[in-house]
This record gives sequence, C-alpha cells and structure tokens, in this order.
Amino acid sequence: MRKAFAKIAAVALSIGLLAGCGAGGGEASNGQGSGGKTTLTLWGDWGGDGQKQIQTMVDAFNKSQDKIQVKYALQQDVITKFLTAATNGGTPDIVFWDRWRTSLYAPKNVLHPIDEYLERDGIKREDFYAEALKELTYQDKLYGMPLTVDTRALFYNKKMLNDAGLQPPQTWDDLENVAQKLTKWDGNKLNVAGMSLGDPGLFSMYIQQAGGSMLTEDNKVNVNTDAGKQVLDFWGRLMNEDKVYKVGFEEGLGEGADAFVTGKVAMLYTGPWMLSTYDKYGKDLDYGIVPPVKGPNGDTGGNMGGFGLVIPQGSKNPDAAWEFVKWWTANKDNALLWAKTSQNIPGFRPAVEDPYFSEDERWKPFLEALEYAKVRPTHPGYSVMEENALIPNLELFLQNKQSAEDTLKKAQTDGERLLQENAVVQ
Amino acid sequence: MISAGKLEKSRPSAGTGLGRHQARMGYLFILPTMLLFAVFMVIPVVMALYLSFTNYDVLSKNDWIGLANYSRLLQDNLYWQTFLNVGFYAIVFVPLNLLISLLLAVLLNRAARGVKVLRTFYYLPTLTSAVAAATVWLWLLHPEYGMVNGILSTFGIVGPAWTSQTETAMIAIIMMTLWQSVGSNMIIYLAGLQGIPDYLYESARLDGASRFDCLRYITWPQLRPTTFLVSTMSIIGALQLFDQAFVLTQGGPANATKTPVYLIYQQGFNQLQMGYASAQAFVLAMAILIFSLISMRLNRSEESIL
Repeated sequence: MRKAFAKIAAVALSIGLLAGCGAGGGEASNGQGSGGKTTLTLWGDWGGDGQKQIQTMVDAFNKSQDKIQVKYALQQDVITKFLTAATNGGTPDIVFWDRWRTSLYAPKNVLHPIDEYLERDGIKREDFYAEALKELTYQDKLYGMPLTVDTRALFYNKKMLNDAGLQPPQTWDDLENVAQKLTKWDGNKLNVAGMSLGDPGLFSMYIQQAGGSMLTEDNKVNVNTDAGKQVLDFWGRLMNEDKVYKVGFEEGLGEGADAFVTGKVAMLYTGPWMLSTYDKYGKDLDYGIVPPVKGPNGDTGGNMGGFGLVIPQGSKNPDAAWEFVKWWTANKDNALLWAKTSQNIPGFRPAVEDPYFSEDERWKPFLEALEYAKVRPTHPGYSVMEENALIPNLELFLQNKQSAEDTLKKAQTDGERLLQENAVVQ
Repeated sequence: MISAGKLEKSRPSAGTGLGRHQARMGYLFILPTMLLFAVFMVIPVVMALYLSFTNYDVLSKNDWIGLANYSRLLQDNLYWQTFLNVGFYAIVFVPLNLLISLLLAVLLNRAARGVKVLRTFYYLPTLTSAVAAATVWLWLLHPEYGMVNGILSTFGIVGPAWTSQTETAMIAIIMMTLWQSVGSNMIIYLAGLQGIPDYLYESARLDGASRFDCLRYITWPQLRPTTFLVSTMSIIGALQLFDQAFVLTQGGPANATKTPVYLIYQQGFNQLQMGYASAQAFVLAMAILIFSLISMRLNRSEESIL
C-alpha cells in the first residue's frame, strides 16, 4: 500500500515535471512581514502562463496599497498540500479554488465563511453570477468569491458550413442536419466528423436541453427519465444512423493536431479556454461560436464551471485576506484587468458588462449561455457518481454494447448508491 | 537471499565474548535500516489497518466504526471489477513479460558486435516517464492516424479504436507496459545468465545435448531465482497498476481499465474517505500477499520436479 501511494506521488511528480513548472516549497508564512506589513500567502495550481497571470494581479494588489503583501506560491497538487496543511498547520491565507470542491470541503470546517465580510463592506450578491455563488455555498453560508465563470458553447468550422450552404445550428434538429451533411467517410475511414461526441460527460448539458436535470431538488439521481431517454435516442441517431462520429476519433491528437484545428471535426462543444489554442494553431481555421443549441421543446441548457478564492479556517489573517479577495473579485477595474490578462470571464457582473465583453462577437455566445448555465449539483459525491456510474454506462451505450433503457437504469441505480456512500456524514 | 542462508550456517555461537561483540556490532549496523523500516513501513501499515476501521477523513473525523468499511467493500461492485481488470492484466502481462525479457536476454547474452548498443536500446523505454510514454503511445494507437492501425490497414484490417473500446483498452495498456518493463527485466535476466558457469554447458554439449536441451535443462533451472524475482515483482506491479492506466485511458472506457489503486486514490484523496480507502488498500495488500505466495509455491514445486 505504501508503494501504491509512492507510485501516486511519482505520477504527480512526473506530471508536474512534464508541465515544466518547478515550484518551490512556498511554506505559508504566518503574519507580520518587514516594515509592519501583513504578509499573506496565496496557493494555487496554475503554473506557466497561468502563474504569470496570477502574479500580475498579485503585483497590482501589492502596489495598490502598503499594508498587505501577498505572495503567490504555486503548488503542483494544491488539494493534497492543503489537506496536510489543514491538519498540521501552515495553511495559506487564500486558496485559488476549483469551486466544485466546496461541497466536499465546507462541511469539514476548513473554509472560513465570508457572509459577515460581505455585509460589512456592502458587497451586493446580485453583482455575481448566482450559480457561481451557489457552488460556493453550503448550508446557507458563503465560503468564497467567484473569480472566473466559464461555460461551453458550440464551435463550428465556418468555412465548411459556408461551402455546404448551411447556417449555424440552433436546435437539436439543426445540429443533426448540419452534422450529417458535413460528415465525410472514405469507406471505413472517417475523414471528417460532423459533430464531436467524444465527451460523454456533456450528458449533463444535453439533459437540460431535453428539459431534465441530473439530480432532483432533494439530490437524488434523476437520469432515468424521459429527458435522459431523449438524449440517448438523439446520440444513438447521431452515432448509428447519421454516423457523424466514431468512438475514439479525437483521442490522443495533442494540442497542435487538435481535430477541430485540422478540420477533422466540423463542430464541437468547448469553452473559452480553447480560444487561445485555436488562434495559435489554427491560422487557416475560420471558426464561429454559437450558444448551446436548444432541445426538442426549446429548452436551453449549459454547464457552468470556474474558479474562486477561498480563505481557509487556518489563516492567521482572515481580515487582510478578505481585503485581497475583495480587491480582486469585487472591483470592476481589477476584475477586468484579470479578465484581460487571463482571457477568462470574471464572476463580477459589472466587469462583464464592460464593452470589452459585451461588444465582442467571440464572447457573446458564452455570455448568453452563462445566463442559463447551471453549476454541477452541490453534492460531495456528484463527481464520483458521474465518473464511476454515469459515464461508464454512457460509453457502453455509445459503443453499442448496451441499450438506452439499460444504460439509464444502471446509471440511475449505481449512481444513487455512489451518491449515498459519498454523502456528507455529520 | 542466498547469502543470508550461508550466513546463518556460519553464525558464531552467542556465548563467546567475540560472538557477543560481533552480534552487538551487527545489530548496530542494521539499526538504521531497521529504524527506517519501522518508521516508514511498519508503523504506517499498522496505522492504515487501524484507519480501515474508522471514518477518518483527514480533516474532521476519526471515529471507530468497526467493520462498516469492510461491509461496504463487499457491496462495492466497482472495486471487485477493478480486481478483475488487473487480474486479466496480470494473466496476460506476467507470462509475456517473463518470456520476452528472457528471450531478449538470451539473444543479447552473446559477445557479438553491437550487442551493447542493442542492450541500451531495449533498456531505454524503462527510463521514459510513464506520462511521456503514454502520450507517444496515444499517438501510435490513434484509430485513424496512428501507426499501429496504419500498419494493420496495409493488410486490409480495420484497426480498432484501441484506447476507447472496452475490448482493446486493457490490451493497449498491456502493450505499453510490456514495452516499458521488458528492458529492466532483461537486465536482471542478463545478470542471471552471466552467473551460470560455462562448464555446465560444456559438459552437456559433450554429452550431446542440443541447444534447446541446454536452454531447457541448464539455463531455465539455473535462472529460477531470477525468474522468481522477476515474476513476483511483475505480479506486484500488475496488481498495483495505476499510472499507465491513468494517463492512457483515465480508467475508461466503461470502467474497463480502472484499477484498485485508482479507486483507492479517488476515495482517499478526492473524496476524503481515507478510512474506506485504507480498507480497500488492505484488501489489495492481502491479495498481493496471496498471489506472491502462490508464485513462490509454483517456483518451489518446479524445483522438485527437476
């Protein structure tokens, strides 16, 4: 067993080495720095360009005032490091936080609730995306501030659509039609896939478009429903009748040989994080973006993700940490500087209303989708349920090894068991 | 292991003064290793056993919950499926690993020109990090543009989507891990081969033994300790399969390449259920123990036949 963990550590290490970021230890310092300044430590796992982007913000904050000095310490595996720190002391003052983890960590009392700060400083909750706040909330307490929001939209190859005289799709039917017309087979070899179906995890988006949801209001798995059936029927049609995709088609192509960049995939759902890649590698790629298409009854659906900033309970200077969090997340100029530096949509709405976003054709579809996009259900077992129960069954379905009915039934029962086993225990 | 047996025979009786002094010095010399062993092996193992009876979550809880983790484990279909996954992996991987590395070692044991270069080439994959190797293998195995399917298509065969299909995903992992591990086992076998005295072959040949007879009745029996080492290590490695599966297929498709260690990591570090993860890890450790014992038995039983 020890060996097993050593192996895991080795993997983590080699991944880190591959990423090419040599992080120093960056032990959390605890308080007063030189010259009466309060020194704060920020932990995050963004290296490379991301590290520079975060550093830009940290530097700007340090320059903006002379009481608090923030230091960014890159952690390869920020969550594991945070775990050890939370038990042994030495927690940082702020953590760059993948928001969906809140439902697992908040019940363990390791995050500092920030409702009082919001009230004291008159920060309006309406200024933030409600879903992002919901993801940072546990039992009516808020545990962090949203820093970025992201969602997926439909990217399409403009040239291919124009050549075929097609309009960008707006509904499932359009999508099927366009995908079918753009797909090109050469005997048994797929040359162009009309629509990417490489990510079964997008089921959670499709089911919303069919008018359903992943979990019920009281956090029970809700996939074995009419909506779930509609999604699988749609996928089954795309895969087996229209043959717009082949299992494993996009796997292992790498960034520079991305199937969308090289024109092997005509349409796919992805997020703003791919914009820079497409611009960098796709010199000849002329693409457009539309919001996720509507389902058979006109329902919209999208998933929201993103990062936030949280203050651990172990922070020795939560007040100073809050000043930094507030400066970064709840100030239009700073949120905008962050957005422009990192090419992320900020969680602060006044910054999103800036012409930088609202008048840019590339951002519009994302902003539109963000209005109805939903975060992952805030259940600590949700991601395990998706990963171990739902997606494996969907994969069997996509490979024609399991009927739609069995897929939904098994995803429902296996998923329900995993949700219960990973629920919060008081 | 062999030398330990010899030492035992020549151990001086503890009664004499010299013997006592030697014993004291002996213990002193092994003390650092034993201390490290205790601190980093024995204590963690005992703690893990204790944790497997608790709901330890690293952050807030550590209560005794008896056998609850183990009874949950019995219901955990996915965990047993991962055992079947690594079981299949081991059954294919371990014999192939032995066979190929032995074959390579025999071929590269002669003093031909360029043999050192070849040895280096066969050993190189071992030095590659699993992550980097997996990335390259993903390219090779790509269903449409990969080299493997490209070669197959010249024979008119439509190759599968190796890493994405349930039937072939584990085979893809076996191919990659074989490529990575035969090199180091070849070295171990080479060392074993160099230890076989030449006079055995010489006298056998005088008695009219063929090359195959030499291999069957001299090389193979003489290499038994080596084979035992290699097979035991690869069984343990197989049951602890993690990084290659993690990078190549992320446990998919349809859970076909999820492994016990993968689930242990997920439950422990992602879900903070260290108690349950410890129970899973303990069952895995027991399985490793059982299979190592079986392998030991198999090796010993062959000794009596010959």
